[in-house]
Amino acid sequence: MGKSETNEKLLCIEKIYKSFGSNLVLRGIDLELKAGEVLALIGGNGAGKSTLMKIIMGIYQSDKGSIYVNSKQLHLSNASAALAAGIYMVPQEPMLFPNMTVEENITMGFKGKQSELKKKIVELMQSIGWELDLERSASSLSIAEQTLVEIIRGLLREAKILILDEPTSALTFDEVASFFKVVKDLKDKGIGIIYITHRLSEVFEIATHVSIMCDGIITLDGQVEDFNREMLIKGLMPSNCEQKEKAETELKTIDYKNLKPVFELKDYSGYGFNNISFGVYPGEILGLAGVVGAGRTELVRTIFGRDKTLSGKVLLEGKDITGLKTSAMLKAGINLVPEDRHNHGLFKISAVSENITASMLDRKDMGRFTLNRKKERQLTSKYVEDFRIKVTDNGQLAGSLSGGNQQKVVIGKSLSTLPKLVILDEPTRGIDAAARMDVYRIINELKSKGVAVLLISSDLEEIVELADRSIAVFNGRINREFTKKEITMDNLTAASFGLYKDQEAI
Amino acid sequence: MKNKFLQKTKDIVTKWEFVLVMIIAAEFIIFGAADFEKFMRPASIFSSINNYISICIISLFVTFVMITGGIDIQASSIVGLTSIVIGVLWSDAGLNIWMAVLLAIITAGLAGALSGFLVAYCNVQPMVVTLGGSFLFSGIALLVSGLSATPAYQGINGFPGKNEAGEFIAFRALGKYKLFDVIPIQIVIYVALIILCYWLLHKSKYGRKVFLVGVNRKAAEYSGVNSRWIIMSTYILTGIGAAIAGVLLTANVDSAKYNLGSTFTLSIITAVVLGGTLSTGGKGSIIGTALAALAIVILRYGLPLCFGVSTQNLDLPIGIMLVLVVSARELASNPRTSSYIRKLFRKEHSIE
Amino acid sequence: MNLLKRLSRVRWLSSLVFLIILFTVTGIINPTFFSYENIISAFNSSVVFTLLAAGIAFVIMTGEIDVSIGATMGLSAAIAGTIAQRGGSIAEMLLYAAVLGIAVGIINGVGVAIIKVPSLIFTLGIMGIVRGLVYVYSGGRTVENFAGDFTNLGSKTIFGDITIYYSIVVVVIIAGHLILTRTRSGKNFIAVGDNIGGATLIGIPVVWTKVLAYILSGIFAAVAGVAFASKYGQVNIVAGSGYEMSAIAACVLGGVSLSGGLGSLLGAGIGAVIMSTIGRLLVFIGLSSDFDNTIKGIMLITIVVTDALMHTRSVEKARRARLAARASSHNDVKVDSADEK
Repeated sequence: MGKSETNEKLLCIEKIYKSFGSNLVLRGIDLELKAGEVLALIGGNGAGKSTLMKIIMGIYQSDKGSIYVNSKQLHLSNASAALAAGIYMVPQEPMLFPNMTVEENITMGFKGKQSELKKKIVELMQSIGWELDLERSASSLSIAEQTLVEIIRGLLREAKILILDEPTSALTFDEVASFFKVVKDLKDKGIGIIYITHRLSEVFEIATHVSIMCDGIITLDGQVEDFNREMLIKGLMPSNCEQKEKAETELKTIDYKNLKPVFELKDYSGYGFNNISFGVYPGEILGLAGVVGAGRTELVRTIFGRDKTLSGKVLLEGKDITGLKTSAMLKAGINLVPEDRHNHGLFKISAVSENITASMLDRKDMGRFTLNRKKERQLTSKYVEDFRIKVTDNGQLAGSLSGGNQQKVVIGKSLSTLPKLVILDEPTRGIDAAARMDVYRIINELKSKGVAVLLISSDLEEIVELADRSIAVFNGRINREFTKKEITMDNLTAASFGLYKDQEAI
Repeated sequence: MKNKFLQKTKDIVTKWEFVLVMIIAAEFIIFGAADFEKFMRPASIFSSINNYISICIISLFVTFVMITGGIDIQASSIVGLTSIVIGVLWSDAGLNIWMAVLLAIITAGLAGALSGFLVAYCNVQPMVVTLGGSFLFSGIALLVSGLSATPAYQGINGFPGKNEAGEFIAFRALGKYKLFDVIPIQIVIYVALIILCYWLLHKSKYGRKVFLVGVNRKAAEYSGVNSRWIIMSTYILTGIGAAIAGVLLTANVDSAKYNLGSTFTLSIITAVVLGGTLSTGGKGSIIGTALAALAIVILRYGLPLCFGVSTQNLDLPIGIMLVLVVSARELASNPRTSSYIRKLFRKEHSIE
Repeated sequence: MNLLKRLSRVRWLSSLVFLIILFTVTGIINPTFFSYENIISAFNSSVVFTLLAAGIAFVIMTGEIDVSIGATMGLSAAIAGTIAQRGGSIAEMLLYAAVLGIAVGIINGVGVAIIKVPSLIFTLGIMGIVRGLVYVYSGGRTVENFAGDFTNLGSKTIFGDITIYYSIVVVVIIAGHLILTRTRSGKNFIAVGDNIGGATLIGIPVVWTKVLAYILSGIFAAVAGVAFASKYGQVNIVAGSGYEMSAIAACVLGGVSLSGGLGSLLGAGIGAVIMSTIGRLLVFIGLSSDFDNTIKGIMLITIVVTDALMHTRSVEKARRARLAARASSHNDVKVDSADEK
């Protein structure tokens, strides 16, 4: 079924390079898409998939490389150029106009008579078998319905190349089933589809071809028939992308017998996760694996008082601290290094010293009313030296540091309150190897000081290397717990892509 | 090594203030050259101060608001509200003048608190809230003046007091007293307020939080800062600042009127923006605002005096100043536009 | 029921209902208000505000603001006044008004959409400049003593007792309303304000749409200036100051959301009628017109706060629904049922 009859290449991408500042995101991407193909593009977070798609859509411009549509080279300088070339992307988070009706949303930006367009839409929906009230306002749509609207939009544009960025991430199971039918229909109609997903089972269900992207390059591609699950999982592992030297990990297991967990969650539920229970012991690094959207970030955000707890309990040293405000959480002894460094962690146009003391301003030793500058200087120097943060001086603006040093500043800020539990959400995302090693060293130091560490990472290698114990989250629930011995790349990858159970069942 | 770097950073930080000082110097030179005698006459300098002291004072406090990323266009309506509340409480309700002043300041603080609450806790755009506030508070001021036996347009006067020697005492001293018989009390108070605001914004823990909220509200919340309260408090401060201006103005002209200060808005915002405060928040300084206010005041003072520009036509130069400054700064700081400019240049090169 | 639901989404209708309620309450308290002349004149007297509000509505829909319109109106009124002094034609005035409006609009548009200065700050500066130009142009004197019947034009009526001016305004508003809601480029204004990222993604010219909004706002304000000169018969140098605030308030009252993406010209027009008649209604109710600003302030704040709270709630609801969908999907999966459906 996968082989297309024609040899015409719908889309051909050659040697695409793209960097943001000093950060090289895409390092020579080649892709080909023929009519009637469904190319599944998989890869970890930060592999560069969305950057690549944005380049194809003309929202970003590549530094080097060329894009051919129907064998014609295109210079995609903006979205309308890409649309004119017959490319349409259904973004992961639907970009609808909330104040408009469904019909207006679909026809927005279209040439042609309204009445004819409407007829076309109705026909389209009938042929697919979807029902959607065209008069409803987009803000009342469920996320699944919004995705459908986006897809109809693309179909109405008679797009020849359809990019679907994790379209099923918000769909219910029935919706996924009918959605797959649509994709198959489209495939039969000769539309080329790039299908980005985290779910490997979907790859085998609908894709004809598969490409795995890692750290800005395609590491593996070919027809789906040539692969099986294990091969894909192997391909997704970072060690396959880059032959990194694996640090020596001594299997020194912690003796849990005489330990009491310093931090405990009991049947904890909130928006994006359900019935989470686990404990973290002093001096232990608990790894939390899972893909983006699995509910990891929502879980720790909620623990930290940034969102509403729905049910369950949070205990710190046996004390119930469920639902406290962030400032109270800090006082109680929890601190968080947020996943989104730029939006939630860093004060870019503030000095390094101002960043580091930001979460400890309420402490008495920072002065009663007047800020204790001497203390601030001392603390900053301490963290700058301990963490090897490269700064010209402590007054340098945090935004002007490199990514790795920015992250160290954010970590310093979180440790300045001397927490009993540190939650690190993707502490090494987007930072260079040297800084990464420094961050690992910091984490290990915390551990040796008896601090409990909850480490969240989609870089599974990181969890393998650091964690004493690990749990995997999939679709908002704990999928599996692993002891130190069981923490392997295979197990973690399978569990975070939701496959571990399946393997056991089979 | 460190000192050298510290010096360097300091240079960069003070750069904008330096530009302002140069502007002020240039104004002195130009106006001085045009008509030195008129321009430098202390009597006319000090007598003009009353026209502008409100702008200077209020802009100090609006700096706090704008650093959090907000804006306050209601402050000027609070000036009139304060004035008329003092007048009515004193002359018609028969309260002690100081009691009246205190209650008026509290009223102004509450007015600021209302807007601040709506901005911080209900997520309404600050521009709209304070627009509504400017209607509301100027409206209330008019209503309050209706409570008085004195007609609204006349203004309540006859405040205490003057002693037998003809010296201003008590309340009127706030408007007329001169330190060492030279320096008007308003200037003394203004300088005190500059020092207070400087400490509050740049030295205190509160000021640090104001900055953090303005730089990145989300990150501040992740750091345990109560961003809502911080934002609300800046509007309260501005209300109180406007009240102080209203008190000084009333004491000086010996007249409590509901529409005092109603034309200050443009100048206040201009002073703050010109002073280097980022309209998107996160950056700004009290010294910058004070210097910018001074530059504006000198311009407003000097143009009519030395060049015969009508006092009614001072919005033009100030408008030009504002547009040029913000455009230039935006162009310089916006990575998109600066890269666009660079791209334009690159294209030209490639054509060559 | 369905129709009712659909109607409730039309925001200008609720403003119209609000206007009718205001009139009715006034009429109940003071039955003399219910006269033909009173009601007609409520509309006739709102010409200037209606034009200002309709113009700025374009800008507000794109999510920006324009506080320079009062000054633009003042300058245009002064120019129209001097033309009227020498007996020039209305066509001439409108031509100058159009040129002025376009010029101010382009400057504002460039400053906001291209240089990306926050719109309030930039238009505030332009307001100062244009206000200064009024003074320069008129030499600080009030422009008055118009020749001919320029000042009488405002009271000439067609269609019964509706003035020529208001009829023209109504036609313009309805035409503008239809363009905005029915045509492709008209919808762009709403789209840009509604979701600027989404608009970019489907190829809407975001920058140009914003510039165009400012140009329209400028033109409407300048034309309002002509109407102003004709209505009052004299133009002093502060003519129109503070009008921008009333125009913004009128938009908000008419259901134009200041966060952009919502609203209509009809709504802005109805809001303008509310704004310009509040004072008159107060007199009929027996309250002093001193309550004017207080009432306006309360109305404005109440409306924007309600709007903002509803907006926050819907955003929050959507976010939670999204997260809940993620957490629940694929969990209670019965694998067999997939192929059946």
